[in-house]
Amino acid sequence: METVLSIHGLTKNFGRLCAVNQLNLEVKRGQVFGMLGPNGSGKTTTLGMLMEVVNPTSGNFTWFGQQPSSATRKKIGAVLEHPIFYPYLSGRKNLELNAMIKNCPAENIPGVLDLVELTSRKDDPYKTYSLGMKQRLAIASALLNDPIVLILDEPTNGLDPMGIAEIREIIKKIAANDKTIILASHLLDEVQKVCSHFAILRKGNLVHVGPVDDVGKGEETVEVMAYHDDLSVLLSEFIGSAEVKRENGQFLVKMKSGFHSQDVNKFLFSKGITASHLHTQKKSLEKQFLEILAEADGKNIEVRS
Amino acid sequence: MLHLLKIDLKKMTSYRTFWIVCGLYFVTLGFGAASGMEFLKLLASWIEGFGESINISRIPLYHFPDVWLNLIWSSGLLKIVLGIMVVISITNEYTYRTIRQNIIDGLSRWEFLLSKILTNVLLSLMSVIMIFVIGLVTGMIYSPTIELQYLITDLEFFPAYFLEIFFFLSYALMLGVLINRSGLTIIVLMLSQMIELIITANIDDDLKAIIPYFPMKSIWYLIQFPFPRYWFQEIQDFVSWIGVATVLFWTITFNYISFWKLKQADI
Repeated sequence: METVLSIHGLTKNFGRLCAVNQLNLEVKRGQVFGMLGPNGSGKTTTLGMLMEVVNPTSGNFTWFGQQPSSATRKKIGAVLEHPIFYPYLSGRKNLELNAMIKNCPAENIPGVLDLVELTSRKDDPYKTYSLGMKQRLAIASALLNDPIVLILDEPTNGLDPMGIAEIREIIKKIAANDKTIILASHLLDEVQKVCSHFAILRKGNLVHVGPVDDVGKGEETVEVMAYHDDLSVLLSEFIGSAEVKRENGQFLVKMKSGFHSQDVNKFLFSKGITASHLHTQKKSLEKQFLEILAEADGKNIEVRS
Repeated sequence: MLHLLKIDLKKMTSYRTFWIVCGLYFVTLGFGAASGMEFLKLLASWIEGFGESINISRIPLYHFPDVWLNLIWSSGLLKIVLGIMVVISITNEYTYRTIRQNIIDGLSRWEFLLSKILTNVLLSLMSVIMIFVIGLVTGMIYSPTIELQYLITDLEFFPAYFLEIFFFLSYALMLGVLINRSGLTIIVLMLSQMIELIITANIDDDLKAIIPYFPMKSIWYLIQFPFPRYWFQEIQDFVSWIGVATVLFWTITFNYISFWKLKQADI
């Protein structure tokens, strides 16, 4: 697959603070790439460097295999942090200005305004827009030149549930058009719903990168309920169980790798017990995220001690 | 080039403050430049009130070729208004953070600066044309005889006037890029003349020769105060090459400093 973005050893120091540390990353064409991390983990600084508004301390990156320049930036649509427009200009005039900057025809404007459902408000000054409308205008502006890559930084920040759902729908619509999307967020649920790949940053360090589908692979945890007095003892005897815990009146069996819920079922059945509840817990991205962060913290503590 | 100028004009032409300040500048410039004779009449009537009389027709303010230098020097005093407009234009980009979005959207930092510099060129050119037209019209009205050789005398002050305005707008742009805050930038812009005066006043006597090379001084020496010629003093009625070179040097330096600052800053 064609590489869209390739980052090598990208570093940014603000005085003594290291905002981004030796970042290496590749984004391929067609990926919806989520960048996760707590606030202040270096997501926006990284994107700022990729869009050349922040000068890197060291390291380099290429877009489409080329050195970054204003020409490569014109092929990218980006909204960093929050929407930025001239407050005294109307939505349409702001887009006209952006079309001039991006060297693309003004005929694209009605289309993108329609997509983000702002056509009825296009002649009102930008400063009269609600936050959701501002976010949508920013997405419209990013899509103006039919970009190959779309960069969105916290696109649902500060929106109400309706607004979040709307933006998510727009992102899905865009992703369906074979565009590469880089989405920075601290909302894990959002990333899991729309992204194909994700990376986790923590205090400027890359701590994880991989496909979203891999989340939930590995050892399973199975919830078990059955009418039997010594179920706990019985379950610990099962060769596939690594750990048995009691929680909310049911047993949580952490499986060894290679064992699944059907093996538990078979085992119980062979002992003459019928399970009244048997359920494999899906590992959410949130859980994985917290685990990875905890792991990274653990490593840090080890290094320090 | 033209494309970049159009981008900057697009930002400004829907901005009400731009029209107010520019309108103020060009209206004041027009009325101020055209009403010199009326002012003289007023002055004469005042003096008559004290029992003296002056013959204002003997002061050829608007006669060719005097009219050129008189108008150019006087209207140079108004350039501060245009300078404030330039400061507002550049500091707005920092306050709204639109400079950041412009770069993200695909302008290079140099292109962004160039769009501002080109607007400065346009504003300077408009000032030159305005003063030329007013000078031509008032000269035609007030000159007793119109002879081509007088009409074309002193026209070299127009390129110098262009340089003066462009120099000052470049300075305003640089201050905006360095300071970013509109209020503070305007204060520094207005005080720079005074700050330079304080510095030059405290210079050792044997170093006085460098004073004409100070930035704000350099435009005073480029186009010198013309009115002493009406009380029979010598004035410099030509544009000196060393004066042009000094102003040009500062203009290029200011724009280069803007470029350098913009290039290495995180925006």
